[in-house]
Amino acid sequence: MFSTMIKKIKWIIPNTSKKGLVLLCASLALWSNLAEAQTEMNSTQSEALKAKVKKLADATQTISSDFTQFKHIDFLSNDIESSGVLKFKAPDMVKWQYTKPYNYSIVFKDRTIFINDDGNKSNLDVGGSKLFERLNRLIASSIRGDMFDEEEFSMKFFTDTESDLVHFSPKDPQFSEFINAFHIRFDKKGEVVQVKMIEPSGDFTRIEFHNRKTNEALSNADFSQ
Amino acid sequence: MRIFLSSICFLLIFGCASYPKKNNFKVVTKETPPQNVLNPYFSNPDKDYVYKANIDALGNKIGGLFIIKKLGEKTHRILFTTEMGNTLFDFSFQQNGFTVNRILKELDKKILINILKRDLKALVLEKPAVEQVFSKTNNRLIETNILSKKHYFYFDSEDLKDIVRTRNGKVIVKHHFANIENDFAGQINITHENIQLKITLTALP
Repeated sequence: MFSTMIKKIKWIIPNTSKKGLVLLCASLALWSNLAEAQTEMNSTQSEALKAKVKKLADATQTISSDFTQFKHIDFLSNDIESSGVLKFKAPDMVKWQYTKPYNYSIVFKDRTIFINDDGNKSNLDVGGSKLFERLNRLIASSIRGDMFDEEEFSMKFFTDTESDLVHFSPKDPQFSEFINAFHIRFDKKGEVVQVKMIEPSGDFTRIEFHNRKTNEALSNADFSQ
Repeated sequence: MRIFLSSICFLLIFGCASYPKKNNFKVVTKETPPQNVLNPYFSNPDKDYVYKANIDALGNKIGGLFIIKKLGEKTHRILFTTEMGNTLFDFSFQQNGFTVNRILKELDKKILINILKRDLKALVLEKPAVEQVFSKTNNRLIETNILSKKHYFYFDSEDLKDIVRTRNGKVIVKHHFANIENDFAGQINITHENIQLKITLTALP
């Protein structure tokens, strides 16, 4: 297989060294293996995933989970890492509490956004925009995984042995200017384990969830500013 | 009447006195203007400069992360995102150029972009055009020109502590650097005196 590939590439790029070609072929082979590992679902599989996630989401009243966030910006040497605790209470109360490397919390409830920035409390004005409100509704849905809205997104479904992955692309051009796509990864139970928000520039925020506890009692005080 | 005229003269003479004069700095005539880096705080291309930021504009507070990277000899990129990672603005500063790579629609106002352009150009420019040097005991004041405006770089011994933009001898904008260690400023405050705008940057540990 390798020698055939090398011959073909040699024909396309005649001045490439043999060492370079071997490296190129090795990476191509690796890449194609990785691509094969994540296969696109057929419609029966995707309908089954939607039904599984929806059933779980409907049965979910509260979620409490640790999270680690990685902000990837192409021109930076390292991703910016932060972490904290996420709390969710149905239908749409959400609190993101960052504890590292800074203390910051943002609470979405009663159609208002409450911020506590290391003791300084405020309501976010930029966050009060319709765009941010909508984004939060999506975040609340994405935590539960229940955002299979065909009017709002075009979707692509992928699967591998460990997890399922859905790519959501907003159909509204105004929204896609802000977020180009959401990639949500589910474990085989149908719980969200990772959310990736991709910006039009290609920079993205990846949030990984751990120690998820479902339907444990959460009071309103858990969502205080 | 005489007193009135004298007070007017007094105001004219001292009210419009230059910034160095008001602060008792004396011009250094012998010294040739320095050609080296005046502001080293964003000069390492290997470093990701990440600051927790608070912008207080006319009572509206926006929090987020300020991300600054030196990308070339005279190029810096400055990006402001929310804590959750959504980009609010993304600017590039070249030697003589400025590019808005991205800005949230709600912030896309010419007047705001111009203010940020001036403030941030002064924040990252390493070698501004030096016009004069002043001194007072251990302190030096270097008069420069950035985007056609007078800016004074105030050094306390070797450390750059302030960059002050003035108009008619009065402070318009002050960049204050604190918690300085090894060419890195842990705390930066950009304060406007003529409009209610303050940008506070605290380096992430």
